[in-house]
Amino acid sequence: MSLKLENVSYTYMPGTPYEHQALKNVNLEIRKGEFVALIGHTGSGKSTLVQHLNGLLHPTKGVATIDGTDMAGKKKEAKEARNKVGMVFQYPEHQLFAETVFEDVAFGPRNLGLSEEEVQQRVRDALKFVGLDFDTYVNRSPFGLSGGQMRRVAIAGVVAMNPDYLILDEPSAGLDPGARNAVFREIEELYKKRKIGIIMVTHSMEEAAKFATRLLVISNGEVILDGKPERIFREDKARLLEVGMDVPQVFKLADLLRSKGMRLPNDITDSAVLLQEIRKRKGW
Amino acid sequence: MENSQKKPIIEIKNLTHTYTDTEDRQVKALDSVTLDIAEGEFVAIIGANGSGKSTLARHLNALLLPDGGNCLVDGKDTLEEDNLWDIRQTVGMVFQNPDNQIVAAIVEEDVAFGPENIGVEPEEIRRRVRKALETVGMTHYTHHAPHLLSGGQKQRIAIAGTLALGSRVIVLDEPTAMLDPRGRKEIMETMKMLNRERGITVVYITHYMVEAMEADRVVVMDHGKVAFQGTPRKVFSKVDRLEKLGLEAPLAAEFAFQLRQAGGDIPEDIITDEELAEALCH
Repeated sequence: MSLKLENVSYTYMPGTPYEHQALKNVNLEIRKGEFVALIGHTGSGKSTLVQHLNGLLHPTKGVATIDGTDMAGKKKEAKEARNKVGMVFQYPEHQLFAETVFEDVAFGPRNLGLSEEEVQQRVRDALKFVGLDFDTYVNRSPFGLSGGQMRRVAIAGVVAMNPDYLILDEPSAGLDPGARNAVFREIEELYKKRKIGIIMVTHSMEEAAKFATRLLVISNGEVILDGKPERIFREDKARLLEVGMDVPQVFKLADLLRSKGMRLPNDITDSAVLLQEIRKRKGW
Repeated sequence: MENSQKKPIIEIKNLTHTYTDTEDRQVKALDSVTLDIAEGEFVAIIGANGSGKSTLARHLNALLLPDGGNCLVDGKDTLEEDNLWDIRQTVGMVFQNPDNQIVAAIVEEDVAFGPENIGVEPEEIRRRVRKALETVGMTHYTHHAPHLLSGGQKQRIAIAGTLALGSRVIVLDEPTAMLDPRGRKEIMETMKMLNRERGITVVYITHYMVEAMEADRVVVMDHGKVAFQGTPRKVFSKVDRLEKLGLEAPLAAEFAFQLRQAGGDIPEDIITDEELAEALCH
């Protein structure tokens, strides 16, 4: 069970003066159960890449498959395969449209041709997942909710489709720390309970380090680094800075303390662990 | 930079802004806010979503008007229609989404849009555009298409647009929320330079505490009111207070707080990594 890109290249507006190759021979396999963070500078090809993972774009060269089915196919299987991938776009609350929270979340499941009972159940489960009480919210207008709540309704609409893979494009952009933590608690729970594959595009090194099991770094249409986030942040700092990325604050602080003579283990990736280590060293 | 002799460039007096929500309730987005901003000051505004930050920003150049109280820009009341042209030239705005602020197909035309609209002479427009692009370090892109630039570059074009208009105050509403790490640094460096070298007054709304740490003063908003304010050192060392408002302190301040709680001998006002390292490794 995996999303797979084989020798995928993509060129925007081929044969015109605006021709631009956004992906260059990308090979990538993402399995169910992985939590992948995708980072890269503006224009690096991140968005083009994720649009190949859910069949919104088809490769100019190469092939993109879900569980073995070519997403570029015209047949029923290709359509069903594409339904396995849910996508939460940037600022998904801008795409809310229905008069009530219920109708908004029910839109996707209804399009799958489910019975009204099943739709109701899906909406109930999805709202529970994003931490919104069914009875309190179903009949309310989504537009009267706070920014964080609106985003959770939008995510619920995608969760209600029961995707095997979920793509999140900057899920925390514009949220305050409280709302950000709430959204991530739900994403993590979804990941752990349903064991789906998650691909998260982010500009936050902190989030990549904290949640992802695998980090992909894209630059100029190529995957330049692929591995465990803690390893990449520890070993490839120079390369990350070179392509406009950064390392999480906790890595910087640990490095600074080491340079001032504090003896710390090499593999600190988490602020709670760093705090423990400092207390141990200082006997506090 | 406190300057007691000079009149503040922004004077907000008991400003209230009320709107009706979808449930037909009256909500006060701003509840009798009083705040002065001195010319040449760099003020960061932080607060949870819905605390009133963006509403406040929109009052500073009369995009919104008070229901109660007043907002004065360089002594001119936003409630008086005759003042609007002056106020909007004095205060330039830069918003979150760089793509929503591009109006032209060529960078120099985009920057020229503001001065053209207020009837500046063509020769003077050319001079202002050249200077503004030079100031934000975008001269090389004068004849480029703005939509092909990076997020940080697009925001610098938006900043150049306010400079070409002659803005003395620039209000930025989460200008880096959609940018990558390099873009975030570009914007912060540009604004610091404009503030220090050109005396531009900066009002900077952000969810990134590392950015707010660079300001002269940090104003913390909560439920339409100013909860507290002060130097970054004063505000960010109040770790528990920030957390209660749904905000996060910078990592070093958080660590200093936790270590003190654990009985560690750490000064109270630590907010940077360097200060923490100094306190721990002296």
